[in-house]
Formats: sequence, structure tokens, C-alpha cells
Amino acid sequence: MSQYPTYLLDRAKLPDAHTFAVATKHGAYEALRKVLKEGITPAQIIQVVKDSGLRGRGGAGFPTGMKWGFMPDPAKDTRPRYLALNADESEPGTCKDRVLMEMDPHGFLEGCLVAAYAIRAQAIYIYVRGEYRAPYNRVAAAVEDARKAGLVGKKILGSDFSCEVWMHKGAGAYICGEETGLMESLEGKRGHPRPKPPFPAMFGLWGQPTTVNNVETVFNAPFIVLRGAEWFKSMGTKTSTGNLLVGVSGHVNRPGVYELPFGVTCREILDDVCGGMWKHKKLKGFLPGGSSTGVLPASFIDTPMEHDAIKATGSMLGTAAMIVMDEDTCMVRAHEIIARFYEHESCGQCSQCREGTQWLHQIFHRIEIGQGKREDIDMLVTLSRGMAPGKTICALSDAAAIPTLAAVAHYRGEFEDHVAKGCCPFLPAGVKRPSFAGAH
Amino acid sequence: MTKITINGRVVEADPKKPLIQACHENGADVPMYCYHPGLTPVGSCRICQVEVQQGTAPGRVVVACRTPVVEGMVVDTESPKAHEVRRECLEFLLKNHPLDCPICDKAGECDLQDYAFAEGQGEGRSNEPRRKLDKRKSLGDVIVLDEERCILCSRCVRFMEEIPKTPQLAVADLGSRSVIATFMDRPLSGNYQGNLADVCPVGALTLKQFRFQARVWNLKKTLSTCGECSRGCAITVEVLRGKDVKRFRPRYEPAVNQWWMCDTGRFSSERHNAIERVVPAARRVEDLLRICSVDEALAQAAETLLAHSGAVCLASPFMTVEEGKAFGALCKSLGATPAFVSPPPSGLQDSLLNTGDPCPNRRGLAELGFEAVSVADARARIAGASVSVLAGERVIELCDRAMLATMTATRIVTFDTHALEGAAAMVCVGIPEQVEKIGHWVNVDGHVGKLSMARPVPLGIEPLTRTLASLTSLLATSGASSR
Repeated sequence: MSQYPTYLLDRAKLPDAHTFAVATKHGAYEALRKVLKEGITPAQIIQVVKDSGLRGRGGAGFPTGMKWGFMPDPAKDTRPRYLALNADESEPGTCKDRVLMEMDPHGFLEGCLVAAYAIRAQAIYIYVRGEYRAPYNRVAAAVEDARKAGLVGKKILGSDFSCEVWMHKGAGAYICGEETGLMESLEGKRGHPRPKPPFPAMFGLWGQPTTVNNVETVFNAPFIVLRGAEWFKSMGTKTSTGNLLVGVSGHVNRPGVYELPFGVTCREILDDVCGGMWKHKKLKGFLPGGSSTGVLPASFIDTPMEHDAIKATGSMLGTAAMIVMDEDTCMVRAHEIIARFYEHESCGQCSQCREGTQWLHQIFHRIEIGQGKREDIDMLVTLSRGMAPGKTICALSDAAAIPTLAAVAHYRGEFEDHVAKGCCPFLPAGVKRPSFAGAH
Repeated sequence: MTKITINGRVVEADPKKPLIQACHENGADVPMYCYHPGLTPVGSCRICQVEVQQGTAPGRVVVACRTPVVEGMVVDTESPKAHEVRRECLEFLLKNHPLDCPICDKAGECDLQDYAFAEGQGEGRSNEPRRKLDKRKSLGDVIVLDEERCILCSRCVRFMEEIPKTPQLAVADLGSRSVIATFMDRPLSGNYQGNLADVCPVGALTLKQFRFQARVWNLKKTLSTCGECSRGCAITVEVLRGKDVKRFRPRYEPAVNQWWMCDTGRFSSERHNAIERVVPAARRVEDLLRICSVDEALAQAAETLLAHSGAVCLASPFMTVEEGKAFGALCKSLGATPAFVSPPPSGLQDSLLNTGDPCPNRRGLAELGFEAVSVADARARIAGASVSVLAGERVIELCDRAMLATMTATRIVTFDTHALEGAAAMVCVGIPEQVEKIGHWVNVDGHVGKLSMARPVPLGIEPLTRTLASLTSLLATSGASSR
């Protein structure tokens, strides 16, 4: 189907790849063995990851090698160090980590161990979204299998490297996917994000140096260690290297998670990879990276799927979870649903976010049911500007404000139609929107 | 100390404290809700935004309560950008606030009200229905919670965790559905609950005792000292229209009580609203105590004291240092040893403030050479003497009013707010209350606490220092003439 080289999902596509036997037969733990047998130092791993240009796949796109390099020098700072794995994949639209954990848990575990070795972490905490039962069970089973094979625990493969793996189930809160919220949750507290600084590398889990990485990010690490930075850079673009998992959902013929190099255009993803729009309808717009990235109208479909190009359109790559909407989609309704999500998931610490997410939802709802006023549309903009950027402890407030600003910027006419007609123009006459049932 | 620039002025700031503290110490009024100087800053209300410039980087708007002080930083608390962010933040805070200021006890001293005036836009833009929550949720005997007014600053949660170290409050639920709650709706316990009403920046946590009692702008606030234990917490005495003491509130005093006080002290304000006082004095005429002027009472007291030798002199532990000196002089002229009644420990001692010793001026009186006498001893001394002088607030009560009333074989002269009943009472001179006098107490650590006049003394009553001195001089002059 795709003419691009692949590596992330190669093993995952094999039958029973989640079992230890199949996974090891197809190369799982080779990178870890190489690191431990050949005595590759943590600094060397960090360097090769830096050279490879690997960027975090959790949404922000921060260079991974640099993040690992923030961990204090173990010679000067003898505190215990931790690696926390953010597998709390809860962004609407995003479903890539689930595939990795469910289909190739050993590949994921190897990635965790290589990352832990690089930052000299003595324990790995894998924080799995509560709803992800199957991925949790697969990873938990993989950890047990690996432990039996001497790949987890004390003196891994007879080397000096010891690393314990702990699994943790979330309880269904989006905010616990924010790295400091995740740490609070792991510590057994409310998932309230912490103000930064101090950053996790200095003051993380239980106040110790901690690195928090996304599942897909560490999944890349063993491949880079085995095949080198140059190989990795041969894929993708100059500033966004390697392949990434693109999760496509919405009004397409073949939604799913696809492995593609950075830089493939959104049109290619939509038409070639996903088989085009469903029911021969026209594209209206798409969210390039999950619900917290701004919507882009159809005219942006030729944008390459990579950090800088998407940023230039005013949106964000996020987790590359493309949500495609056809011409019959009501953008007000779509954003009402997004706003409802953020209202429900705001932790309630910061004033702007707690009140603002509710307010945005209320306004979207009013416009959608035809009770909006003209000034409400400007209010969406001014309120969103009051919530972002960087005005709150974490980025949830931004995540609610950014799609709102984009929706009004690109689809103002549709909002005005709702106000002028006093109803949603996408609904047949006489039909009313059903009111919300509970969240979740 | 670190040198920083605040609003164009170079100042020295403590690098261990957050930037907001440096701003407040240097006259820049940065608004705050979640920040309290006595609690861990969390930076969640986002109102304390100021513009900070470091090095060559362009100015950034940051929350002052979570920003460390760094050498050379240039802070502008009044920049248009900072004002704009604060205005926006207030708009969000007021989105669901009920704006029931006309019936809110906090109105007039409410941070939300104050900063909304200072920064806010004056007019709300929200037409949405406001949150409907419990407006009078009892959190025990002391505190009522109004969930609608709450801005979720979590000061109360942190107070309970960090100061009395008895975590009892928490934020329940998420996002815009958050409310302050106790576990399973259990009532709050402990002797420090009253502080919750003080730390609450809005009218969400109010005192049951003070609820709907007064508008705070009608209260005259006077700096004073609490007398419920030997800690002597710095307080303000708040009096409504020169009459009733409506509340005691702690006042920041780093050497004694920081920002806090215990409920025992706080609610002792009620005591000062008693109406059965002796005004201005009474003396025994034939078999009855009759109201008379202070001069008449003192003359009769002098007569009684001169007629009988071996007077016992007992002071109240509430006596100020100044009154103690006057009482010491009286004792000397009567040839008695100065002593004060020392009641047993109150049993309220805790590791925070309350010392459990109900004698606020024990140390001050001890330094004046007063002997501490137990209640039983005091009674025995009174019973065994032909005449006694009891002076100071609550001295009759401490020696057991009912017991004294049954005495017949002795004569007692009292200087107390209340009169003494019974056959032994010869003269009762009215004295000012603790909130009606100027003086000093020395607390358990030697810190001097000041008492100020929070309300006028009832007509005719003279300060205890003066009445004691008058009696001393009367004794000297009439004693000399009779000799």
C-alpha cells in the first residue's frame, strides 16, 4: 500500500507478535542486548538519539535526546532516577500508542529499557490509560515474560544495569496525561498538574529526577540504537526525522493507524493511504493532530504532515491524529463536542481553565441550538485569548482555546449562519439536537 | 539578599521567597487569591500576573507567587499587559460567582470585590446561568461553606494540611464541578477552624458566630492582644458602633502567632459583651451594696482597709504590667506581698499556639515580683484574713464567685468588672474590660503584647491604674491623719 520504508509496525503486523517467542524471533531486545553486551554508554545513546533528531511523539515534539540530557549528572546527583512512560493516551482522535502496546508490547518494553538505560533510571513506571485494558494486559504480560528471561529486574542480562518496571492504571482522567499531572497521579494524589519550574528532570516523581516519555517516542529508541542516526534521518524531513504513526479517524473510507514518514502531505494520507473521503463526499476540514490542534479547512490539505509545516498553518502536529470531516459536518457542533470534552476534563486548578472551558462550551452550545448572538462569536475569541497561551499551569487551557480560535477564524460564516437562522443549518427542518447524556 | 527592580525602584529581595512577597514588601500591590504568605504557593488562581524582564529577553507576564527572585530581574506590576491578563482572569473568576455581596459577610473586606474594582471591567459579559450549588453547607460548629461563592483557591485545604496539620478539607470533583468538601461530609474538628474564615479570600467560608452580625465597614478595628492563654496572640478587636465586640481576628505578628489564632481565643470576644457590670462602683450601705461614685467607694475601701490589719492582696492574671505596678504599690502600703491567682492549665494546650496556661501576663507579673497562688490557696488566704483586696478582670470568677459569696467572717474589696455578692463584699469598684484599656502583657516567650482601647469605657469607670493609685494615696493620707 505504501511505498515508504517502515519499521515501527513491521513486527506488530505479524501474528502473535505480542508473545515473547514471536517477538524475540523477530528482533525484540536486540538493541538492549547490543547496548549491554557491547558496553555502549548511556552518554553514547543520548548522543545517537540527539543526532537522529528524534522528537517526542506525545504532542509537543520536543527533541528526545535533549530531554534525556536534562537529567542531572549521576556523579553529582546521586538521587534515585525514574523513567515514567506516558501511556495515558486520551486525546480524542489519538490511538497510536494503543496499537504499539497491544500488538508489540515487547518492542515497547525494549524501548522503555533502552531509554531507562540512557537516563540511568532505576525504575520505570508505565502509566496506562484506565480504559486501555487489553494494552495494559499485554504489556503486563510482556513485563512478566521479560522478567523470566532476565530482561527486567536486577542485573539485566548479567550486566550492571538493573531496572524495575511498575505498571499503573489511570482512572480515566485526560489531565493525568499531562506529565506533571501524571506524576501526581502516580504518587497517589489528585491529578493536578504542577507548576513548572521545577521541571521533572530536577524534581519529578517523589521529588526525584524523572523523565516522562511518550510510548511511541521510546519505541523508536531501539531502532536508532541498532541502525544508527543516519538511517533514522534518511526518513522524514530535515527537522522532523523518522516515521510516525498517523491515526486517521472521521469521514474516510479506511480509518486507522498508519506508519508514515514525516513530510507526507495530508492529501496523500487522505487519498492514497485512507482511500479518500467516504460516500464520495467533499472534504470540509480536518484536525491535523487530535482535538487540541486547530481545525484546518480543505484548502490546507496539501500541507506536509510534519511539525514546522503544520505550525506554519497556525495549527499543530500534536499526536498526528487526523480527524477528517466531510462537507455535511457542522463545525459548531463539532467544536461544541470538543469544548464539552475540555470542560469535563479540566482539573479545575486554574481560574481561566476551570471557568473558561465551561464558558466556551456554554457559548458553543447556545450557538448550536440557535440561541447565540452575534457578539457571542467575538466572545469566543476574546475568551480563548484570555485562556491561552501560557496563562495557566498546564496546557489544557490552551488545548481548549486553540481549536476554538481556529474554528472561528476559518468558519466564522458558519457561526454567523447559526446566529442568523436561529438554528443549526445542517439539521433538517424540525429536527432538534439531542441534549447531552453524561460525559464518557 | 538579591537586588531586583520593582516598578522602577531597585530594591533588595529575599531570594528564598517568591516574587510576590518582594512586591508586597515594596509597596507594589499585586493581587492574590491562592497565595498566602503563610502557606505553600500553588500558583493556581493566576491573578498575581506581573510583567518580568530578565536579561535581554522580552518581558513576560508570569505569576508572581511561583516566580523565584533572580538578581537583576526587572518587574513591572502595573504594565498594560499584566493588567490585561489580570482583568481577563477576574472575568473568569466572576463568571460563576453569585455576586451576592449585599448579603455577604465578606463584603467590604473581600479580595475578589477589591481587585474586581481595581482591575475588573466593571461589567460582566456572561449571560449563562451561574452555577447552582449549596449556599449554606455546615462544616461543623464553626464554619459555614457557601459553595457558590468559592473560587477554589484551595487556601483552606492547604491551611488544614500545613498549619494545624490535620488535613480535613479537599477539593472534590473535577473542573467546573469542583467544590470544597470534607471527607464524607464529616464536620470539621480542631481548635483552629476559625482561621479558615480568615484565609478564605472571598465569602465562601464564614464564621457561624459572625454570620449576619455586622457589615465589616461598620466595625472599628483596634490592634490588641488576646488574653485566653499566655501566648498572647496579636489580634484586632472589632467593635460595632462603640458597643459590642463582634469579633477577634488574628493579626500578623511574626514573633508570636504569625497569621493565626485558636478558636478559644477567637470566640472569647463574646465575653466582652456582658451587660451586668458594676458601673461605676458599689459600696455596702447598711446591709446592701449600693451604686455609688468611684470616690465614695474608694473612701469606704480605705476606711475598711485601715480598720483591719493584715490585708490579703490578690491580683488577676489578666492584670497588665502597668496595673501590676499600681497594685504592687498598694500592696506595699498595706504591707502585703503581691500575688496573683494562677488557675490550673486549661487543658487546651497544643503544639501550635495555645499554651494551655490561662494567665496572659504570668511572665509580666512574675517579673514585677508577684507570687503565683493557686486558686485553692487564694481562697484559703481570703477566708483566713480579716480583709482582702481582689483586683483585676475576672479575679472574682477565678476565685470562685459562689464560694466567695458564702463567706461571712471576712471583708472583701474588689476591683473587677462585675460586683461580688454576699456578706463579705464591702466595696466593688468597676474597672475597664480588656478591650477598654491601654496596657501591656508579657507573653510566655517574653514578647510584649499591647492592649489598646477598642471601645470607650462606660461612663464613670476609671482605669484600674488610677483607682489603685487613688486608693494607695488615700490610705497614705487618711492613715497619716488617723495616726
